Amino acid sequence: MALVLGCKMLFRRGGTAAFISAVALLIAIPASTNSIYNSISYQTQVIGELVNLGRTYLILSADSRALTDSQVERILASRFVGLGSIDYVLPQRVLVADLATGSGSYTAYIRGVEDVGSFLKTRRAYLNGAIAKGWAEANIGEILARALSIGLQDEVDLAVGDRQVRVKVVGVYRSQTQSDAELLVPIETANILAANNHTVSLIELSLKEGVDSHEALSQITKLLPENVKLVQPQQLREFTQQMNTQTLVFLNVWSLAVYAAVAAASHIAVMKLITESSYELAMLRALGARKHHIYTTVLAYTMATALLGSILGIALGTAGAQVVSTILRWIHRGIELSPFMEPRQALQIVFLALASSVLGCLYPAFKTARVRYVEQPL
Amino acid sequence: MSGLAGFRYLKRRRITTLVLILTLASALFSMMAFSLVGFYGGFIAYMGGGEDIVVLYDKGSSTPFTGLVPAYLAERIGVLEGVLASSPEAIAPCIIDGRAVFVRGVVPKEFAKLTKLKIMDGEMLQLNDTYSMIVGKRLARTLGLKPGDKVLVFSVLRDQYVELHVKGVYESGSVMDDEALAPLYVGQWLRGADYGHVTLIRFRIDKGAISPVRIFDEVAKEAEEPAPGRGEPSQQQPPGQPIIPRITARFTVERIGVEEAQRFMKSYMERYGVTREALITLSALVFLFSGTSIVAASRSIVAQHRGEIEVLRSIGASKKLVKRDLLVKLLPWSIVSSSAGVTAASVVMVFIHENGYLQVLSHTVQFQPDPLIIAINFILSIVLVALGVIRSELG
Repeated sequence: MALVLGCKMLFRRGGTAAFISAVALLIAIPASTNSIYNSISYQTQVIGELVNLGRTYLILSADSRALTDSQVERILASRFVGLGSIDYVLPQRVLVADLATGSGSYTAYIRGVEDVGSFLKTRRAYLNGAIAKGWAEANIGEILARALSIGLQDEVDLAVGDRQVRVKVVGVYRSQTQSDAELLVPIETANILAANNHTVSLIELSLKEGVDSHEALSQITKLLPENVKLVQPQQLREFTQQMNTQTLVFLNVWSLAVYAAVAAASHIAVMKLITESSYELAMLRALGARKHHIYTTVLAYTMATALLGSILGIALGTAGAQVVSTILRWIHRGIELSPFMEPRQALQIVFLALASSVLGCLYPAFKTARVRYVEQPL
Repeated sequence: MSGLAGFRYLKRRRITTLVLILTLASALFSMMAFSLVGFYGGFIAYMGGGEDIVVLYDKGSSTPFTGLVPAYLAERIGVLEGVLASSPEAIAPCIIDGRAVFVRGVVPKEFAKLTKLKIMDGEMLQLNDTYSMIVGKRLARTLGLKPGDKVLVFSVLRDQYVELHVKGVYESGSVMDDEALAPLYVGQWLRGADYGHVTLIRFRIDKGAISPVRIFDEVAKEAEEPAPGRGEPSQQQPPGQPIIPRITARFTVERIGVEEAQRFMKSYMERYGVTREALITLSALVFLFSGTSIVAASRSIVAQHRGEIEVLRSIGASKKLVKRDLLVKLLPWSIVSSSAGVTAASVVMVFIHENGYLQVLSHTVQFQPDPLIIAINFILSIVLVALGVIRSELG
């Protein structure tokens, strides 16, 4: 009863509307920035879903940071061959080798695959010459061929450590991928150089078109041992998520200063209120109100006004952002922004506003509660 | 009574609240304005500062990163008198070590003529470094990369991945410190472009000898020429052959734009209603939103000194005189608070910038102290405090 009376008394003071307005205007800032962020994030997500994501996946060793560091059991590939959702399975060995030609010695990437023709087909490569078939044949990417002045029928010596192989270049291809800077050989050739038949650097899988990717990935994941990882080369979702997170952080940096300003506004409003209500507070103490009653009354008043202010601020901020985006759309037709506020975000803003206000009013409330009713603060 | 300057009736403790709220409001405005203007300034300077940098771009693209223009125009325009450097660039959004990064494919020798790079560690990139890249110092710090490291770079726009070695770490003093540079063809692979196309071409020109309009005229002449075939991989590679196949791609001149670099970036921003003035105005509005608190704080000081003011009034000071005296005594505090707010915001922004904490589109927001922002800060503080004092009731 005393709390209700005390709050009524404080609410009747003229400064209540100004305090609610002050909080509302400050809270409108994070509310409008969050609503604009939601719109941008939603559009980014929609655009991301329109892009045809690739169906290729790589199996690499779990601790590898690069292809040449990865070692995966070659026999793992056979587990996926029978799956109906898989279009192709391509185990590959990637090596760094010394490549010697007539003009000098260079370092180059060698990629060994089980079927060179299938590999070039997956890359949609143009080929001049023939597909490398035997272990003594190779196809060369156009970029590497141009860099080292290697042409058709040229012989090159490949060396990894003390193991050497001589191959003849039977075809030059262009695939518009990193393979254009590689020498492509049958996997037997790569195994000779690596002195290892049992492992490969990666296994490349592709899903069939129209297949439910979640279901297919679930099937694949069940077949994987723990020491490997499944990676999708086209990482559009991760990229857009990070872009959104960066935007959110950018907007939220200001929120820190906003909530500090809310705490300061609360402090000022309560100080002013206490100064102007000193007579009424003194009367309450004279009538038997204890220190904690005064303290609680001031806190309750602050929380109630901050709650009203933050709700008003969220409405103002969201509506304001919508009005501005509508005006921008009239001026610049290309702009499509539809700000909106999520309930979770609104609750978060209200909570932070309440917390900041309470923090700001603690000291004046505590100080007032301690003053004896005959004293006046000077 | 000529003045109240000798009467020291304002209690410093009570002024603290006003100082605090003013400092916070100034800091909020400054942080917002500095970061927005810094983002804007960094974006505008992205293609290079100075009026002698011209960009050839795809007019139909919605962002500077997503268009495609014929790569051979770099060579074709590069031979014109007055064109000092010509840099075709393929910009690709990628993921490296789980982090969103832009990789820029360049012809290193030409790129270095437009953008000053200082190699801090390792070596400079060459066009025939088929498996290498150099990284900006901020990116190197973020990803913990140093020369000799190997990484897998995953494309965002295509089903592509590339293993690259870090050959060096560079510093450019610009937002490019958040990017990685690789040979042009690597950028084309990651961008999903063929060897005949790049994202854009930058030129450094001698403004006395050539203009963007003249360059556009030459491009228009090229558009009228029929393009030969796509270009198949050639069987024999004579020595000295350019490493990237030369493909003369067909195009329509309506899709090509040629503009000074900064104007080009500004026009992109203006498409979305983003101008420097709009950003500063937005920040000022935010300051004004805190204005209610500032005015309330000023009025609160007056209310708290009611006793002292009543004494002054009783000995003959008019309301006008008292208000004038309050203004004279409080305005220096508002200047001090604004200075403190700007300083605090600057310190925070420098810290954020140095550590790359604040990024937009994977580029660190630049910190650019702007005299206009500082001036607006002081003016708004003074106006709001004055308003609070003038509108106070002295009884």
